[in-house]
Amino acid sequence: MRRDDKKEESAVFQRVVLKNASPYHYMKVCLVLGDESTRLSAVELKHFIITGLKSLHGEVGAALPFDLLKYDEDTLTALLRVHSRGLVKLWSSLTLLGSYQSQACAFRVLQVSPFLLALTGNSRELQLDEGSASSSSG
Amino acid sequence: MSVDLDQTPRSLLVCDQSSFLDEKNRVSSQVEQLHFNYKVSVLLPECSSTPSHLDSVLNSFSSFYLIRKLPIYELLDKHFLETSVYQGSVYGLSYRTRIDEDNCVALTPDGRLFLSLDKDSFQVLGVEGKPSRFNHRTNSRFVVSIDLTDSSMAPGGRSYQRLLTGLRSRLHLKTDFLLSHHPGGGASLQPLLSRYDWSEHRPEVSSHTLTHLSSPDLQSCDPHSFLEWLGAVDANISCENLSSSFLSSLVCPEPKTTLSRSLRVTICGMLLPQDVHRLIQEIRCYLEQPRLESWVSMTVHGFVDSPISWGVHEHGVLRGGENFYSLLLFHDHTYRLHLATGAHDTCPP
Repeated sequence: MRRDDKKEESAVFQRVVLKNASPYHYMKVCLVLGDESTRLSAVELKHFIITGLKSLHGEVGAALPFDLLKYDEDTLTALLRVHSRGLVKLWSSLTLLGSYQSQACAFRVLQVSPFLLALTGNSRELQLDEGSASSSSG
Repeated sequence: MSVDLDQTPRSLLVCDQSSFLDEKNRVSSQVEQLHFNYKVSVLLPECSSTPSHLDSVLNSFSSFYLIRKLPIYELLDKHFLETSVYQGSVYGLSYRTRIDEDNCVALTPDGRLFLSLDKDSFQVLGVEGKPSRFNHRTNSRFVVSIDLTDSSMAPGGRSYQRLLTGLRSRLHLKTDFLLSHHPGGGASLQPLLSRYDWSEHRPEVSSHTLTHLSSPDLQSCDPHSFLEWLGAVDANISCENLSSSFLSSLVCPEPKTTLSRSLRVTICGMLLPQDVHRLIQEIRCYLEQPRLESWVSMTVHGFVDSPISWGVHEHGVLRGGENFYSLLLFHDHTYRLHLATGAHDTCPP
């Protein structure tokens, strides 16, 4: 009976609301270093974040699984993915990371979202420069 | 006392599933209710170049204007009200103002002006408003909502004068402002534009070809995994990882197929809901022809710092301020719509 109605069924309006159901949170972070010429590889960056987790949350913190989804070596900007339960731990340890190889450093958290898709469309990045303007008047 | 570190602020994901053939489908009203769109991204599977019809729709998105240092009282200008606001369909939004720290302004096509102000500005302005829903403990932000089409706001009236004096003599609110008009473009905006430093901008279209893209089975994939996969595609993140990999264990949800050649087209700027609606219609036409893959996905991101989202509900930024929807269209006219919001937002329509 149900199978016969399959075509009909698929057209029926269905709405599901998921609240706080996101399994992961995503962070866009940028590392600012005192010496701007220093370069880190992706592996070094992840290791650096893990040491931060370890110094703040101990061995248990260091075992917190997170992913380095994307990393741009030129701008030192990275996309991180962490289980929602671990977001506060990761964020707090990023905040308290103050030195990399004995030079001052800081993590700038640019965007945090439960949706990876949201990190690809941040309207704060909209640049309307003079160059792209097609007409102007004073 | 221990603090619960596992908690995260609220987020909502609404998943609608229906068909365009169903008379009660609400896609058009849902599209129209997100007034301020920043970016649209379309994913066309098994497609190597933008189909010409789609391309022409993308290139015909309305242009918009940036006015530098616009005093907000100019929006109450009698001539501007008569030629633009009362006729409907003026979209205005303050640019490079952050709703968690600055004063933000929005003008909706139904002629309503929204001001999201910090406490000092609100008290200086001296106009009736409400504390923001998202104030924490103390009232530090206030929202003023004014219906410019209401008879009490007619130029010359008492409420009108009060607001005008407040904005002109007391608050001196000035901000870079994005303005767009539908339909007809800028003709009716010219008198306002000519008084200030302004520029016209066209939404920027870019396309990107993706080869050997892993794609999940759309029928069985759960909404969060699907949106994660789509996000990875949009952000150019590789899903080809091993579970034992040190850097990342992100993988495409199983079961998966490989798409040999896909196209991602994005358009950025201040985009009007009417244009987004035309794009949806064009995608539906595109899907009617037989294809290797019978779906197309389209994601629309709203402005993060808009004082309103989803109709005229108050919007704020706690961590991300995201308000976007993702529409997955199939060739049999069925669709799946995912609407997502962050903590400082209402439930999508």
